[in-house]
Amino acid sequence: MALPLNARHAMLGGVSGKHRSPVRGSSLEFAQYRKYVPGDDTRRLDWRTWGRSDRFYIKEFEADTNLRLCLLMDTSGSMNYGPADSTRFDYARKLAGTLGYIAAQQGDAVGLWSLAEKSVEIPAKRGASHLGLVLDQMAGIQPVGGTTLLTALHDAAEKIRQRALVVIFSDLFVPPAELKSAIQHLRFRKHDVAVFHLLDQQELDFDFDRPARFIDMEGGEAILADPSLIARNYREAVRQYLHEMDELVRTTGMDYQRVKLHEKYDDVLAKFLLARVEKKGGR
Amino acid sequence: MTFLAPALLFALPLAALPVIIHLIHLYRRRQVKWAAMMFLQMAQRMNKGLSRLRQILILAFRVLAVAAILFVITRPMAGGLLGLTGGVPDTVIVLLDRSASMEQQNLATGTSKRAAGIAKLAQALRDTVGVRSKLVLIENGHLQPQLLEKPESLIDLPLTGPTDTTADVPALLQGALDYITTNQTGRTDVWVLSDLRQSDWDAGSGRWQALRSAFATLKGLRLHLLSYAQPAAQNLAVSVQRVVRNETAGKAELLLDLRVTRDASSHEPMELPLRFVINDVSSTIKVEMKDSQLVLQGHAIPIDKTTKRGAGRVELPADASPADNVYHFVFDEPAVLQSVIVSDDEAEAGPLQAALEAAADPTRKYAATVLSPARAAEIAWDDVALIVWHAALPKADDLIGKQLMNHLSAGRSILFLPTESANSEAFGGQHWGAWSSESKPASVEWWRNDAGLLANTRSGTALPVGDVEVSRRCEILGEGTPLARLTGNLPLLMRADIPGDGNAWFLGTLPGSGSSSLARDGVVMFAMLHRALNEGARSLGRAQQREAGTAALGSGDLSVWKRQGQTVLSSEQPLRAGVVEKGDKLVALNRPLREDHPETLGKAALAELFAGLDYHVIEDQVENDASLASEIWRTFLFVMALALLGEALLCMPAKRDPQPSPAR
Repeated sequence: MALPLNARHAMLGGVSGKHRSPVRGSSLEFAQYRKYVPGDDTRRLDWRTWGRSDRFYIKEFEADTNLRLCLLMDTSGSMNYGPADSTRFDYARKLAGTLGYIAAQQGDAVGLWSLAEKSVEIPAKRGASHLGLVLDQMAGIQPVGGTTLLTALHDAAEKIRQRALVVIFSDLFVPPAELKSAIQHLRFRKHDVAVFHLLDQQELDFDFDRPARFIDMEGGEAILADPSLIARNYREAVRQYLHEMDELVRTTGMDYQRVKLHEKYDDVLAKFLLARVEKKGGR
Repeated sequence: MTFLAPALLFALPLAALPVIIHLIHLYRRRQVKWAAMMFLQMAQRMNKGLSRLRQILILAFRVLAVAAILFVITRPMAGGLLGLTGGVPDTVIVLLDRSASMEQQNLATGTSKRAAGIAKLAQALRDTVGVRSKLVLIENGHLQPQLLEKPESLIDLPLTGPTDTTADVPALLQGALDYITTNQTGRTDVWVLSDLRQSDWDAGSGRWQALRSAFATLKGLRLHLLSYAQPAAQNLAVSVQRVVRNETAGKAELLLDLRVTRDASSHEPMELPLRFVINDVSSTIKVEMKDSQLVLQGHAIPIDKTTKRGAGRVELPADASPADNVYHFVFDEPAVLQSVIVSDDEAEAGPLQAALEAAADPTRKYAATVLSPARAAEIAWDDVALIVWHAALPKADDLIGKQLMNHLSAGRSILFLPTESANSEAFGGQHWGAWSSESKPASVEWWRNDAGLLANTRSGTALPVGDVEVSRRCEILGEGTPLARLTGNLPLLMRADIPGDGNAWFLGTLPGSGSSSLARDGVVMFAMLHRALNEGARSLGRAQQREAGTAALGSGDLSVWKRQGQTVLSSEQPLRAGVVEKGDKLVALNRPLREDHPETLGKAALAELFAGLDYHVIEDQVENDASLASEIWRTFLFVMALALLGEALLCMPAKRDPQPSPAR
């Protein structure tokens, strides 16, 4: 059985779909009772309740709708990091493409946003041809330049008007405290936020054997460093950063996946999708 | 610090090689494209201070190591604490104390303090200064600057050989000062080689103040004092105070008064062999020494009756200080102890003549003549030991004045008595003032009883000087050494400060009953006159005992003096102990007895003497073989090793992080 891509929050879709909607609808799944107010459709009155309590209640049912999947891809220069045959962005592309495909297969809308100065913004739409457009655009993106992740996330929060499953693919090399406001902005707009935090093991270990000149892939300064002198402090800095990131996840409630580039992407996706299936099942 | 291969110092910039290589490596390091710069920057910030310091230290250690290697190949020489630093001076002046006490030896090697000091100084100067500085020697024997070609000459020169003299260190420094100011020597190092004996340094002399002031004005002057102050352990010294040939009907003998002294800290009784050598005939006696001093009075040594004159010596067993183990003496038929009283006043001259003709020593003959001042020219200058001058003081440029001065220079004595008539002339810096009479006779309140004319007797009994009454007193004006004072601190007897061996005294009263009780009581006057006579008689006669010194044999041609035993250069004759003869004159030369006093100057005293001057003291010992300056390449190798070790420690990779890498 293929794993579906589920939203963890109610979605406001334009058409019927497989996802829960905040609007009460006509599905078979009971949602709640509420008091009758003038103007309500009298056909929805629950006469049995009226008979028992002499009060008018409207019986509401869940509405199923489709999902808007917005794929937000970090396209800064640091996304080019990774083994020669597979960069961080390649990895992100595989994840995003697969998720887009799954969503399209479910009849959900798929959009693409590149988080860079010259951004690609493809609003979420349904249809195989639109998916083809998204994938083509995705294949054409070349990560370059400095990071504008925070600005781009705030922009995206403003531009994605309707509730959507916003999936971010990034190395998140920004201060967690600053990232927090961007995530909270997305959450404020009722988006279901998922993050694929893509890291390489070398970036965590800093396991170099001799001094080197480290050149910033985002065009910043070069740093001469002796790993034997600073490795301990480097790891301490990473440890502190990841701790803050965990704290960020806890406080924002986003769906966070820390991914190392040597992991198989299908395992990562399976883990991501399964977690969402379990969430839905528990509703 | 100096270098045997100074040209190689031009390679010193090579010490910067580690820094240059470091900079080259800085730009040749491999490049890594890196995304997680955020962590790298944070790590750099955390590590910044320590890492920078570590890097600087590593570089410093590398530079130090290279510099040390370069210094090693330049063969550095250093005196270290010796102060042989700061480059080569224009002139080096060596002031050498050749006094008898400098002959104290290292018993194991037989090397004296003087020889050890000279050898070390010569080596140090050769290794550090070489022939680049003008080298000047001034030694206490002649006090004349001697230009040397090379430092090694110090070892070979007769001028640096042993003597039995005493040193006058202020005079040595004055000699250096004169040389510096006369020759404008530029940057000058003055080396003083001495054993710091108080008797040689004369710390109480007023000359030091003048020397300090003069040296303080000289720029670029450095004083180095190479001192050998350690005393000789268990040292014994012998001296002979009196030698008299005594002949009776049946035998002839020499009567010796001699003294043996030893270190004051030694009190154990010891049996001591004393060897007497008289006219090459030796005899040895054993004496027991119980205290720090042994005095033999009138020790009789039989001699042949036909031996009327001769020479001899007393010897002690060898010890660390050989210069005081031998004392030479000569003897002859004793000369008549002649004195002349120059006076018009018969009342005063009478008691004086009577006292001087009375025999204090029954073995000697005494003669006293009274001459009026007008007949003073008739004095037999060569034969008279004491002149009692009761006449107006002569003018300094008068013939009689010069003759009196020559009389003193020859080691004889003069006792000046005041005359009734006023006289403003001065002699030896002193002159007579006004007469004053006391209604009640004044008594002597203070007198010097340890030395001089009024000293205690040999048995330690004081002279009855306090009983002397003075009713008339003539004021003594001028600088001198007081020997007795009346009530009210008024000088009665003064010794004039006149250079040379002779003595001149001024007595502020007359012996007659009108002035004092000296003639009436007699004892004090008799002792005083005979002591003055004996002082003057030391240089009287054909056989004389003299202290070794530049002027010991006079200022004439020294080559006419023949030495008994070993031969020495004529210029060194008066400086070395022994017996010399000229014609019928026999002279025994010995060390001045003040050389036997072991007291030395302490650091505080030296600091006071050299206050305000750039000086430093190197305390050496005659047993110390280490040279003053040596190649110190080993030190630099050690520094290099330390630098490399430090560099290696700093370069060691940090300990592996015990915590697992984050998010593994």
